[in-house]
Amino acid sequence: MACLIGLIIFGIMGIFSASHRALAKEAFDCVFRRITLRPCNSGFKEKIKGKILSRLINKSPFTARMVNRHYEILSWIFFILMVGSTVWVLRGGYNFYVYGSCNGLNASGFCAFDPNGDNNKISSVNGDSSTCGIVQKSEKTVTLKNIDLSSFPAKNIGSKDTVVFIGCYDCDYSRKAYPDIQKLVAKKDANYIFAHYPAKGNITDKLAYAGYCIYKNDGDKFWDWNTYLFATDKNYILDPVNLDTMLQKFNFDVKKTEECIASPETKKAVDSQVIELNKTNIYGTPTIFINQKAFVGPKPYRVYRSAINKFIFF
Amino acid sequence: MLDINKIRKDFKILSDEKAPIYFDNACMSLKPNTVVNAMNTYYYEFPACAGRSAHKMGDKVTKKIKETRTLIAKFINADSQKEIIFTRNTTEGINLLANSFPFKSGDIVLVSDKEHNSNLVPWLRLKEKAGIILKIIPGNNDNTFNLENFKEQVIGAKFVSIGHTSNLDGVTNPAKEIIEIAHKNGVLVHLDAAQSIAHQKIDVRDLDVDFLSFSGHKMLGPSGTGIFYGKQKLLEDLAPFMVGGDTVESTTYESYKMLEVPEKFEAGLQDYAGIIGLGEAVKYLDQLSFKEISEHEIKLNTYITEELRKFPKVKIIGPTDPVLRGGIINFYIENTDMHKFAIILDEMAGIAIRSGQHCVHSWFHSKKIYNSARVSVYFYNTMEEAEIFISNFTKILKII
Ligand SMILES: Cc1ncc(COP(=O)(O)O)c(C=O)c1O
Repeated sequence: MACLIGLIIFGIMGIFSASHRALAKEAFDCVFRRITLRPCNSGFKEKIKGKILSRLINKSPFTARMVNRHYEILSWIFFILMVGSTVWVLRGGYNFYVYGSCNGLNASGFCAFDPNGDNNKISSVNGDSSTCGIVQKSEKTVTLKNIDLSSFPAKNIGSKDTVVFIGCYDCDYSRKAYPDIQKLVAKKDANYIFAHYPAKGNITDKLAYAGYCIYKNDGDKFWDWNTYLFATDKNYILDPVNLDTMLQKFNFDVKKTEECIASPETKKAVDSQVIELNKTNIYGTPTIFINQKAFVGPKPYRVYRSAINKFIFF
Repeated sequence: MLDINKIRKDFKILSDEKAPIYFDNACMSLKPNTVVNAMNTYYYEFPACAGRSAHKMGDKVTKKIKETRTLIAKFINADSQKEIIFTRNTTEGINLLANSFPFKSGDIVLVSDKEHNSNLVPWLRLKEKAGIILKIIPGNNDNTFNLENFKEQVIGAKFVSIGHTSNLDGVTNPAKEIIEIAHKNGVLVHLDAAQSIAHQKIDVRDLDVDFLSFSGHKMLGPSGTGIFYGKQKLLEDLAPFMVGGDTVESTTYESYKMLEVPEKFEAGLQDYAGIIGLGEAVKYLDQLSFKEISEHEIKLNTYITEELRKFPKVKIIGPTDPVLRGGIINFYIENTDMHKFAIILDEMAGIAIRSGQHCVHSWFHSKKIYNSARVSVYFYNTMEEAEIFISNFTKILKII
């Protein structure tokens, strides 16, 4: 058993140091002999045991005696722990690659690869407009089932993959995720639906109405407008005095758009869109559905790409 | 009196502040600086062939090799430097003998019951190859040599090959008596002096030994050096088992004419640096007194033996009296793998001892002892080192 543990440990340490490489070779020889049912002749087990005991003997003879007596059992315990932690690390690595968190999709527990939890930060939609942080909640209840998205801006209709982006203009994490989703949609020609969700209250209402009107009146021109809003300083876009200038910039009919924004039908339509979005059980923005799977918080691009790829990498 | 502090300065490895406690002298001794320097000088200044080339460098090597041969002849009091054959080690010497001596099927060869593999395997092989009969002389209960058994067995034997000092327990066999008895019975004797050459004066003429082998590396010399001695007229009758360059005077396509002894046994280019280093080792040993070396070893052995005796489970191989065991204390604990001790001592305190069956597997198998740990001291070891060993050994014993 000591040989096997030694092989794994020294194999890894051997990458960095030549002396450990030599021990790894000895351990390999020992494991190989065991596999071929020959006795381990390298004395490797005794060597490692001796090294451990010599370190303990002056510090705590009692511990040294115990280690000597129960060496085989301790080896097994360490081996099992090592296998367990290796599986755990591999699983964490896989989760991190595929979901952006070691703990699984949208899980915001501590992850060594993402110590600040950046990949799971969201703007909460629980009514507290100031919340911009980690919110522990399960994405399992977040769903697109029975949700009518027909009134939201959509493109590439009929594609095999569907990406739904629910985000808000004012939310930093939505703004962070937005360019990656644009890139993904462009690359994969995915059916793309954009839904604005006012996570921080009605401060973004006017822009939501504007978006609704632009898509209604000018169709696909909406997408450049939308991208502009996500890319431009949020203090500027949220200031109502700048709205006309922005509309002019895109050659929209300012008057017509302003009228549409002010009309009660628009408010009603946008309100009913929000009601529809609430049915998804959304708890934070951005929430991105890739083929029905919900990704909450801004994930690295590879996470979105893996979700859409058939076999993770391609 | 040996001035150990002064002596230790002659060994680079021992003058270091963090010098190891080297207790594996039966395997390999340390080398004084003079030996290493002499070898370096050869490599740096005249790294040429001996005996072949006419240039100055070649001449110098030839001279140095001859000097060393003479030194060694004097060291063991051989009749002539022609009786000194350079080998790689004791093992090669014994193989040379076993393969060159005209053994015939049915010849009886006697060895003791605790021979090093190097003085057992060549004979076991000869048993297979030439049909000799190999007989083992049973020793006494305390592992000392039983002359009575020997006297009985030597009758009708052809050859005796016996370890002079055992690497198992440090016991020196009564070589002079053995040889006398053998000769009375018309039997030739080879002594394996691997363990004795560095610890006691060996006088081949006084012993009247016929053949003798030893290793340079156990007597302060470079590793891979050794000597095979034989009485000249006996050597002349041996047919070398390795031939080629440097063993012949001349050749035609059909025949060859061998050189005289010792050259006819030294096939191919030799380890000139090693031989020169060995010469320096002999010079170093020559300026010390074997009596004082032996007294010092016995003093250390007595202390270690007494301390180990305090633990009833520790069993020392060989006679109780440390005086009979020279510089060797070989011990074991029943049902315990003694490698553990060697490894931990090394890791804990840089104490180098040997563990295992010490190439005397046959003895361990016959006694059903798994293995042992061997401390072997030499003149440069100190009492303080022995105390450190005992203190660390005691600690280990408490946890094992
Ligand atoms: C008694 C004895 N004979 C023979 C040998 C073999 O010596 P070498 O390995 O130098 O040939 C040894 C080495 O330990 C020995 O102790």
